[in-house]
Amino acid sequence: MLDIRRISSSRWWHKKKNWILLTIFLFLVFIRISKGSIYKDFYYFISKPFWPGQFQKEIILKSIDQESLIKLNLLKSDNNRLRKILSLQESSPDNISAAVISRKTGSWWRQILLNKGSKDGVEIGSTVVGPGGLLGRVKNTSLFTSSVTLLTSPESKVGVWVNRIQINGLLVGLGDDFPSLILYSKDADIKVGDFVSSSPASTLLPPNIPIGFVQSIDEPIKAKKIAKISLLAKPQVIDWVQILKTKI
Amino acid sequence: MGANFKNKNLVNRYIKKKLDIVLLIFIPIIFLWHPNWLGFLGVQPYWPLFWLLPWSIINGPVNGLIFGLFLGLILDSLTLDSNFTQIPGLILCGFWFGRVKLNSNVLVGHFRYGLICSFGSFLCGTIYFLQILFKNFSESSLLLLISSVQNILAEVFLTGFLAPFFCSQLLIFFKYPGRKVQ
Repeated sequence: MLDIRRISSSRWWHKKKNWILLTIFLFLVFIRISKGSIYKDFYYFISKPFWPGQFQKEIILKSIDQESLIKLNLLKSDNNRLRKILSLQESSPDNISAAVISRKTGSWWRQILLNKGSKDGVEIGSTVVGPGGLLGRVKNTSLFTSSVTLLTSPESKVGVWVNRIQINGLLVGLGDDFPSLILYSKDADIKVGDFVSSSPASTLLPPNIPIGFVQSIDEPIKAKKIAKISLLAKPQVIDWVQILKTKI
Repeated sequence: MGANFKNKNLVNRYIKKKLDIVLLIFIPIIFLWHPNWLGFLGVQPYWPLFWLLPWSIINGPVNGLIFGLFLGLILDSLTLDSNFTQIPGLILCGFWFGRVKLNSNVLVGHFRYGLICSFGSFLCGTIYFLQILFKNFSESSLLLLISSVQNILAEVFLTGFLAPFFCSQLLIFFKYPGRKVQ
């Protein structure tokens, strides 16, 4: 009897195509593990000509903004000097201004990509605010960019404070434009129009950052009261944001 | 001068030959770009399917499955939700698209791409939503349902609406790499 032997040339590792596929696979696994930082930095460079602030009107507005910013900084340093004289606590958060270079404000993924990254000192967990108030928190950074999870994302859960009734709650993103405020008290006297800000008890956010207003209140479920919140800061139209570097 | 022209010609020919791979690199860029003017209710079409359908039709189910995995890996790395993945949906779509046969009637072919991509987008959206639902299973997960169904339906509509155009063009590009599109 003759042994039927496998022909060696049919082994998978003898095919060049399989090696190419394996190399691509390993490269993509590397991208996945590095949270797409290579791709985000590549996008940073190719999207540079399209960043906000490229038109004449915007250049003029930017100059006005810069003037206001310089005045504000002068006033801040004045304020700090006076606070030192009076032996009061300093309140000078070190902020970073950043432009929004990519935004996903619909569908499942609710995130924005900023043009400042670890090179500029952005840290994971930093708070991001825009005109109106809180937008979200930095989830990860690459060398030139940082990705922010918006308050509307299903991954977002932050502690908030309802000022009128002096109660803490949890703001949970649901994947739509109106996150839900969960109050763990059935008898909480929450009303439409109540103002919501970041909680003084939160370990993730600085206190008293405006967030939004109560838009509607649902029927209580078990011991919980749930309300829809209309956010003050609209991520779908904001072009510039501030990354707060304050230590909580 | 002559050598320079020859090199340029070689690069052009290489790019034309590998246009499918070059376009694959641009999918995550469009995914990040997220053009609002192409959106519906703030939702975008599911871009990877426009590339995956023609690629799988030409290269078969196994290649479709492999490149579905590759696309899933890239797109997962760009989204912040580390608990959820797009890979299962894209793998299934890649394999299924590979079994689709080309239709000789051009008009029927166009509408088929729309229908297939709509169903693929529904499949991917539903798998993604089920992951979110399993992760956040509680009373408040019911609140997720309305917005998620809206997301899925808007995505299905947009993907099906744009697929005939994108898929037909890409199919021509992939099948006849050197041909000029009229």
